[in-house]
Amino acid sequence: MDELVIGMSTAPGTLNPLLNSMLAGAFINSMTERPITVFDPDWKLVCLLCTELPTVENGHARIVDLPPDDKGVVRKGMEVDIELRPMTWGDGTPVTARDFQFTIDVGRHPQSGVPSVEDYRRILKVEIKDDRHFTITRDRVTFDYNVLDFFPLPAHIEKPIFDADPAEYRTRTTYDADPANPGLAYGPYRVVEVVPGSRIALERNPHWSGAPPQFRRILIKFFENSSSLEANLLSGNVDYVPGESGLSFSQSLAFEQRHADRYNVVFKPSLTYGHIDVNLDNPLLGDVRVRRAILMAIDRKTISDKLFHGKQPVADGNVNPLDPMYSPAARPYAYDPAQAKELLDEAGFRQVATGERRNARGQRLSLVLDYASGNRASDQVAQVIQSELRRVGIELRLKAAPARIYFGNLNKRKFDSLAFYSWVTSPGSVPRTTLHSTEIPSAENGWSGQNFPGYRNPEMDRALDGAERELDPVRRRAFFADILRLYADDLPALPMYFRVDSFVIPKTLTGVVPTGHQGCTSLWIENWRWRD
Amino acid sequence: MGRYLASRAVQIVIVLVIMSFVVYLLIGLMPGDPIDMMISGNPRMTSEDAQRLRALYGVDRPLVERYLAWAHQALLGNFGYSRSLNRPVLAVLWPRLLNTLELEGLAFLIATAIALPLGMWVAARPRSKADYVVNLFCFAGISMPTFWLALLLISLFAVKLGWLPAGGMADPRAGASFLAALGQNIRFALLPVATLALVQLGVYTRFMRSAMIETLRQDYIRTARAKGASERMVLMGHAFRNALAPVLTILALSFGALFSGAMITETMFAWPGMGATIYQAIQTNDFNLALVGLLLATFATMAGNLLADLALVAVDPRVSITERA
Amino acid sequence: MSAGAHPTRLVWRRLLRHRLAEISLAFLVVLLVLSLGAPLLAGLRGVDPSMTDLYHRLEGPSARNWLGTDDLGRDLFQRLLDGGRVSLLVGIMGAILSAILGAIIGVVAGYRGGRLDSVLMRFTDGVIALPLLPLLVILAAIDPAKIGIPPDVAQSETFSLYRIVVIVALTGWTTVARLVRAETLSLKARDFTRAAQALGARPWRIMLRHILPNAAGSLVVSTTMSIGTLILFESTLSFLGLGIQPPAASWGNMLTGAQELLQEAPMLAVWPGLLILLTVIAFNFLGDGLQDALDPRSERRT
Repeated sequence: MDELVIGMSTAPGTLNPLLNSMLAGAFINSMTERPITVFDPDWKLVCLLCTELPTVENGHARIVDLPPDDKGVVRKGMEVDIELRPMTWGDGTPVTARDFQFTIDVGRHPQSGVPSVEDYRRILKVEIKDDRHFTITRDRVTFDYNVLDFFPLPAHIEKPIFDADPAEYRTRTTYDADPANPGLAYGPYRVVEVVPGSRIALERNPHWSGAPPQFRRILIKFFENSSSLEANLLSGNVDYVPGESGLSFSQSLAFEQRHADRYNVVFKPSLTYGHIDVNLDNPLLGDVRVRRAILMAIDRKTISDKLFHGKQPVADGNVNPLDPMYSPAARPYAYDPAQAKELLDEAGFRQVATGERRNARGQRLSLVLDYASGNRASDQVAQVIQSELRRVGIELRLKAAPARIYFGNLNKRKFDSLAFYSWVTSPGSVPRTTLHSTEIPSAENGWSGQNFPGYRNPEMDRALDGAERELDPVRRRAFFADILRLYADDLPALPMYFRVDSFVIPKTLTGVVPTGHQGCTSLWIENWRWRD
Repeated sequence: MGRYLASRAVQIVIVLVIMSFVVYLLIGLMPGDPIDMMISGNPRMTSEDAQRLRALYGVDRPLVERYLAWAHQALLGNFGYSRSLNRPVLAVLWPRLLNTLELEGLAFLIATAIALPLGMWVAARPRSKADYVVNLFCFAGISMPTFWLALLLISLFAVKLGWLPAGGMADPRAGASFLAALGQNIRFALLPVATLALVQLGVYTRFMRSAMIETLRQDYIRTARAKGASERMVLMGHAFRNALAPVLTILALSFGALFSGAMITETMFAWPGMGATIYQAIQTNDFNLALVGLLLATFATMAGNLLADLALVAVDPRVSITERA
Repeated sequence: MSAGAHPTRLVWRRLLRHRLAEISLAFLVVLLVLSLGAPLLAGLRGVDPSMTDLYHRLEGPSARNWLGTDDLGRDLFQRLLDGGRVSLLVGIMGAILSAILGAIIGVVAGYRGGRLDSVLMRFTDGVIALPLLPLLVILAAIDPAKIGIPPDVAQSETFSLYRIVVIVALTGWTTVARLVRAETLSLKARDFTRAAQALGARPWRIMLRHILPNAAGSLVVSTTMSIGTLILFESTLSFLGLGIQPPAASWGNMLTGAQELLQEAPMLAVWPGLLILLTVIAFNFLGDGLQDALDPRSERRT
C-alpha cells in the first residue's frame, strides 16, 4: 500500500525540465522539483520556492528605467526580488540563487536546444545578493512580472557539462545520462530508475524539506494505446491515470457511468479554448454576416450536451468565464438556423434550386474545414458541423491532416477558409499573439505570431496593448471587456467551447486536485494519500 | 560453404546500404520535422525558436547532405541519438530487441509445437468433421484483425476475469528470487504471446496439413501401405519426415521475421519491443531511431534467415546450399 | 481412415466442402451488391447516412434504423454498407494490382531467365526479407505535398483511397511473382510454347497469350486469398491512424473509432469487426475451394 502505480499515455522524452516540451515530462519534473511561482488549482499565483510572492504592492517588484538602448531611448522595465525558501538538492547541496542564474543562462543560450527562449530572453539580468536572495530585471512592464514557473537546474552538476560544449548539452545532460543521480531532485521524490519509453520509478527524497509525501515509491508506466491504458486501470495493473495525459473524454464519461462505485470522475473546466479560425482573406468570408450566419447555424449547445454530456461549456468568446479577467461583455450567438439563412440572403448568398447558395457573381458558398486528425472528438464535431451547415445551404468539405502537417500549414496561414483547433492559456493572459495586427504571420516577420485569421482592428490593438501593460486589475478587466466585445462583434474566429480536463480518480486516492491549466497536479503530490 | 556465406554476407550488406538510403529519403518525405512536433506540444514556441532549433538539429540542410553525414558517422560506429528518448539509439534498441525476441520466440515455439502435430493429425483424416472444425479455427485465427483479437483478450482475461495483467512488462524488484521474477515475466507475456500464437497457429497448421496431404499422395506411401505398414508407421515414419522439409522452409522464412517485432501486438500490450519502438519513432518524427531500428530489424531478420537456412541444411541433407543460394 | 470410405459419407463431405465455398461466394456477392447499391437503398429507405442527428445517438435497432444509430446519430446499417464498399474496393483493387505487378515480374523473370531472372528474384527475395509493416507505415505517412502532388489533390478523398490501395498492393506482389515464375518455368518447356516460338511469335505475345492464361488458375486462387489479407491490412493501417480518414467510412476506421465506446456501445465495435472477420474468412474459403476445384489431383482423389 505504500506504492502508487500511475499509468500515462505518453512517455516523456528528456527529463531535463528546460529541454522538455511534453506534459509527461512536466508531470514527473513536478514531483522532483518545484518552480518559484505557479498558478494553483484556483488559478491564483502562489509561491512554491519563494517565501513571499513579490508584488508591486509589497514593494518586492518595481517599475524601473532600463539603461538606454543603442538609439539612446530609455524604456521601462521591472525589477523583481526573490527570497528562496531553504531547500537542498538530493545530494545535500543547497539550492541557491546561482542555480537560477545558471538556468536562465542555459535558457537564453542560442545553442542550448531549449524549445522556447522567450521567457528567458525577457529577463535582462539576475543580480545575486546571497545564496537565497536575488533580483531579476525584466525588459518590459507587464502584468505577469512575478510568474516564474520554470524549474531550476542544479548548477553544481550541470554547469560543467554545459560550459564544456553548450551545443552538446542536450545530449549529455545528467537528467538523461544518469537520471537516478540524487542531486537532480529537491522535491518530495527523486527518480531511481528509468526504462526509456516503458517505465519510471521514483522514491521519496530524504532531503525534501516540505510536507512528507505518503507513498514510499511511485511507479509510472506508459501505455500508448488508450484502450490498453483503460484496460490496465480497470484490471488494477495501474492505480491511477492522471488527467493530464491519460484517458479521453469519452472514456472518462464511460467510467462515470459504469464504475462510479470505484472511481470519482472529476471534470475540471480548463483554459483550453476550442474555436474555429476564419481566414478573413477568403472573399467568401470577408462579410461579417456570413461569419455570424455560420456560427448561428451550428448548434453548439446540443453538441456540448449530447457529445460532451454538457461538461464542456459553450464559449461566447476567447476568455473563460472562470478567468479572473472575464466579464460578460460579448454578444451571445444562440442557435438560430432561420436567422442564419436570412443573414446569408442579406449577404447576397441566395439558395438556388439544388440547395446550395451562390452570390450574384455565381460564386458558390463552399468552404473547407481543416483540422488535425487522430482526435476522435474533433472528428465527431467536424462531421456534425458539416451536416449542420448543409442544412442552411453551406457546403463544407472536411480536411483532416496529421497534426504536424496541419499546424505546419496553419503557422504559415495556409488554410482555405476555416481551421478548427484548441489552445491552452494561463489565467489572465492577454490574447495578444492571436489577435494583434502585428502578429499576423508573414514571410516578412519570419512567420511569427498566431493571428492566423489575419485580423486587423486598431481598436483591438489598443485594447490588447492596454491589457498587457496595465498592472491594476480593475482597469485591466475593462480592457479585457473591450477585447471580448470586439471579438464577438468581428468574429475573427468562431468560439466553440471550453474544454474540460477529465480526471478518473480511484475512490481510495485522495488529495489529487485538478488545475485546469498547464500546471500539473503533481506539484502538490505530497497531499496525495490512500484513504484509510 | 565459405563462398556461400561470403555471398550471403555481401547480399545483406547491399540490402542494408540500399535500405538505409531509401528509408532516409522516405522519412524525409514524412510530414513536418521534429521541430514541428515540439511546436504542437508547446504553445509558447515562436517561429524564431523553430528556426533556431532547426539549425541546431541540422534539419534545415538538404536531405542528401544529411544522409551522407549520417552515413559517415554510422561507418565510424556512431549511430546517433534518439531525439524522442534523448539517448544513444543503440542503447535504446538493444534491450528492445531482446524483449521482441522473448515475445516472438515464445509465440513461435508455442505455435509450432501445436501446429505441427495438429496439422499432421487432421491430414490423416481429411474432410472429416475434425478437419472441418480445425480448418474453421485456423481460418478464424488468420482472418481476425490482430488489434481486435488483442482487445478481446484484454477485456476478457484482464478486465472481466482479472487473471492476467493487461499490458506492460514485469517490473523486476530488487531482492525477488529468480523464479519469482521469471513467473512475473511470464504472466505479463502470456496475453501478447497468445495473440501472436493464435494467428501463427492458423498459418502453420494449414501448411503442415497441406504438406502432409501432399506427401501422403506420393507413390512410396502407397507402396508402404501396400506392403502392410501400419497407418501409424506410415504417418510417423515415412510421411512426417518428408512433409517436414517444406514446412521447415516456411518456418525458416518466418524465423527471421521474429526480430522485426510485432508492431500491433506490442503497441496494444505496451510491450517495449522493436515493433512498438519503430512505430513510436515514426509517430514522433524521431528519424534516427526509426532508421536505425529498421536497419537493425532488417539485419536481424536476414541474419536469422541465414541461420535458419544453415540449420535446414544440417537437418535435411536433401537441401543443398547451392540450390538456395 | 482412408478417403474412399463410404459413398454417402463421401458425398456429404464433398457437399459440405463445396457448400462452404458456395456459401462464401453467396455471402460475398450479397455484400458486394448491397455495398454498391447502398446509396440507392439509402434513398429508398429515406435515410441519409452522412447526415448527423445528435438527438438520436447510439439508439438500438428499430424499424427506421435496422441496426440502430452510431455515435453521431447516423444509420449504422447504411454506414456499414458504405464502409464495406471502401473496404472491399481497397481489398479487391489492391489484390488485382499486386497480382498484375507480381505476374509481370514473375513471367518476365521466368521467361527471360538468365541475368534478368536472377536480378528480379534477388530483388523479390530482398523485399520478402524486409520488415514490411514498418516500411509501409512510413510509406502511408509520407506527405504527398513533398513529392509534388498539389495539396488539393493530395487531400481529396479519392486520392487517399487510391494511396491506400497502392500501399496494400505492395504487400502481396512477392508471393505472386514467385508463383508465376515457377509456373512460367514449367510452361516454357511445354509443346505449345515451343510451337509458338517456332512459328516466330514475339516473346511478349507468348507471355501474354500462352503462358499467363495457363497460369491464370493459380493466379486467381492467390488473388482471391490476398483480398482477405489486404482487407485486414487496411484495418491495421486504420488502427494506426493511417488508413481511410473520416468522414469516409471503412470497416477499419469504424472499428478503430468504436474502441473508445467499447463500454458504452459495444455493438458499434462488434458489427464492423464481425464483418471484417466474415468477409476475410469468406475470401479464404472461396480461395481454398477454388484451389481444390482447379487442382487436377484433388479430382483424382474423389
